[in-house]
Amino acid sequence: MPFRLKQRNVLPGFNLAMGYTLLYMCLIVLIPLSAAFIKTAGLSWADFWSIVTAPRVLASYRLTFGASLIAALINTSAGLFIAWVLVRYSFPGKRLIDALVDLPFALPTAVAGIALTALYAGNGWIGSYLALLGIKVAFTPLGIVVALIFISMPFVIRTVQPVLEDLEPEVEEAAACLGATRWQTFRRIILPAIRPALLTGFTLAFARSIGEYGSVIFIAGNLPMVSEITPLLIVTKLEQYDYRGATAIAVVMLVISFLLLLLINLLQRWSHQRYTT
Amino acid sequence: MSITIHSLSKRFGSFTALDRVELEIPKGELVALLGPSGCGKTTLLRIIAGLESADEGNILFDGEDTSARHVRDRNVGFVFQHYALFQHMSVFENIAFGLRVRPRARRPSEEQIRAKVQELLSLVQLEWLAGRYPSQLSGGQRQRIALARALAVEPQVLLLDEPFGALDTKVRKELRRWLRRLHDELHITSVFVTHDQEEALEVADRIVVMNHGRVEQIGSPQQVYDAPATPFVYQFLGHINLFHGRAHSGWVRLGGLRIQAPEYQNTESMPAIAYVRPHDIDLLREPEDSDTTISATVVRVSSLGSLVRLELLQDSDGESTEVEMTRERYAADPLQAGDQVFVKPRYLRVFLNDDPKRTPPVHWNGDGDGI
Repeated sequence: MPFRLKQRNVLPGFNLAMGYTLLYMCLIVLIPLSAAFIKTAGLSWADFWSIVTAPRVLASYRLTFGASLIAALINTSAGLFIAWVLVRYSFPGKRLIDALVDLPFALPTAVAGIALTALYAGNGWIGSYLALLGIKVAFTPLGIVVALIFISMPFVIRTVQPVLEDLEPEVEEAAACLGATRWQTFRRIILPAIRPALLTGFTLAFARSIGEYGSVIFIAGNLPMVSEITPLLIVTKLEQYDYRGATAIAVVMLVISFLLLLLINLLQRWSHQRYTT
Repeated sequence: MSITIHSLSKRFGSFTALDRVELEIPKGELVALLGPSGCGKTTLLRIIAGLESADEGNILFDGEDTSARHVRDRNVGFVFQHYALFQHMSVFENIAFGLRVRPRARRPSEEQIRAKVQELLSLVQLEWLAGRYPSQLSGGQRQRIALARALAVEPQVLLLDEPFGALDTKVRKELRRWLRRLHDELHITSVFVTHDQEEALEVADRIVVMNHGRVEQIGSPQQVYDAPATPFVYQFLGHINLFHGRAHSGWVRLGGLRIQAPEYQNTESMPAIAYVRPHDIDLLREPEDSDTTISATVVRVSSLGSLVRLELLQDSDGESTEVEMTRERYAADPLQAGDQVFVKPRYLRVFLNDDPKRTPPVHWNGDGDGI
C-alpha cells in the first residue's frame, strides 16, 4: 500500500495530534540530541576517533554497558520473582512492600549513592561482613552494579506485575489437568505470556542504568580504567571546558544505546509476532 | 470410570459451598449438575477434578479414593467456561500440549502426536484450523478445540464447567446437540455444570439439581421435571404458579380451592403452597363447583409461537397466574383480556411452608383426592 499521510479515519484530530507529537519530540528529544552531533561535527574525523577510542574511554564503555547489562539481567530475574510474590500471594504488609517498590524512582540518586556507599564500605554494616569473606563492593565495579540494581529495580516489577495479574488462573489449571508439572506450566504457559513485558522491563532497566550518574559516582571510587563510568568521563571533560570531547563521547554513547534499544525492540516485535498473527 | 461422592463438604470462610453431598455417577453416563449460581455446582466439579480440595468427605474413582491424588495424576479432562486455551500456541499445539508434557518414557513420538491431533481435530470437525491461533477462532470453535485438547490425554472422566455459557443461543443449541452425539460415540463418564435447565433437560442422562450446597434431587430429566422432589426443584425447572393457602386436618384450602390431603391429617392450620405448571391448568367459562375452581380475570394474552400464554389475576386476592395452552386449544375458545374465567388446576402439588424437605408433598390430579 502506498504511504499516505492523511487517511480517512473515524478518530478526529489526526493533524493536530500528529503535529503536536512531532513538535514535542523535536523540542524535548531531537533538538538537544542533534545539538550534541552538531557540536561534535566541529572535530576532525581523526580527532574524534582518537578521543572516543582512548583506552580510558574504551574501558569506561565496557564498564558502563557491562555493569548495566548485568544489573538489568539481575533485575529481570529478581523483578519477575518479586512481581510473582506480589501478585500471587496475599500476606500482611503486601501493600507496603508494593509501595516500597517505587521508592528508588523517587529517591534522589545521590542519596541512594551515599547510603549504599556507607553500607557497603569496608567499615559499613554490610561491607564489614563482606570484607571478612574477602569481597569488596564499594569503590569497585561490583559497587557500580549494586547501585545500578538499586536504581533500576522498579522497571521489571512494574511492567510484569499487570501482565501477571491479567493471566487467567484457568489457563494454569487447564495445563495442570493436562498433566503438566508446575515447572512445565511456568516454562510453556506463563513465561511466553509475560515474555514481552519482561523484555520491556529489561530494556527500561538497561537504558536507565546506562545513563545513571548520580548514585554511581559515590560508590564507584572512579578509578580511571577500573571504575570510571562513561557519564563521569563526560562530566570530567565538561569541567575541563573540553565541550567537543564531551559531546564526542556522548555521541558514541547515544549511538550504541540507540542501536541496542533498536535491537531489543526488534526482538520484542519478533517474539510478539509469533503468537498474535 | 464411575464416580462416588461421599459426604462431601466445603466451606469458604463462613459460606458453605457444599454441605454433605452424596452422589453416585455410573460409568459412561452424562450427568448435569444444575442449579442457580452460588449453589456449589462448580465447586463440586472442581473438587472432582482436584482443582479444589474438600474440607470433609471423599471422592472415589472406581471405588478408589482420589483425595491424595494431584490434579495431573487424576486423568480428568476439564473444559472451562471461557475455554482457557493457550493463546500463544496454535490450535495444533494446544491439542498436543497434554501429550508433549508427559514424562519422556510415556511421551508419544512426533508422528504419534501428529496422528492423535489429526484424529481429534476430525472428531471435533475442525481439521482446517490446525495452524490457527485461538484469537482467530469463534467462540464455538474455541470450545470445540478446548474439548479436543481435554480429550487428547484420553481422560477417564470429562468435566465441563458451563461449557456453553459464553456462547450465543444458536451456537449453544448446536453445540449441546453435538456434545450429546459425541458422548454417545465415546461413552466417557461426563459431568457438566449448567444453570440452564433447558440445556440440562436436553443433553443429560441424569440431572442433579443443587441448591445452597445440597443436592435437592437426582433423576432423569423426565423425573425431575414431572415429579420434583422439593419446592425448589419445582421453581427452578420450568415455569410455575404459586397458590398460597393453609393445610388443616386433612384438607388444604387455597383461595376458593379445597383439596383433600390425607397426608396432612394431623396438621393444624399450617401455611401451605401449591405449585402448578402453567400448562397444567384448564380455564372454564362457567364455575364448575366452588371447591375446584378459582375465579380470575384475563389481563393479557400473548402468542409464543406454538403456545399461547394468558396472564390472569385472581379475583379474591389479586395474585397473578400464568396459563399456557396450545394454539389449537386457544383457537377453540379465544379468551380476551377482561374476560372472567375459572381456573381449574389439572395437576398440582402442595408443600407445607415451614420445612419443605420433611413433609411429603400432596399430589393432586384435579379430581379432588390426593394421590
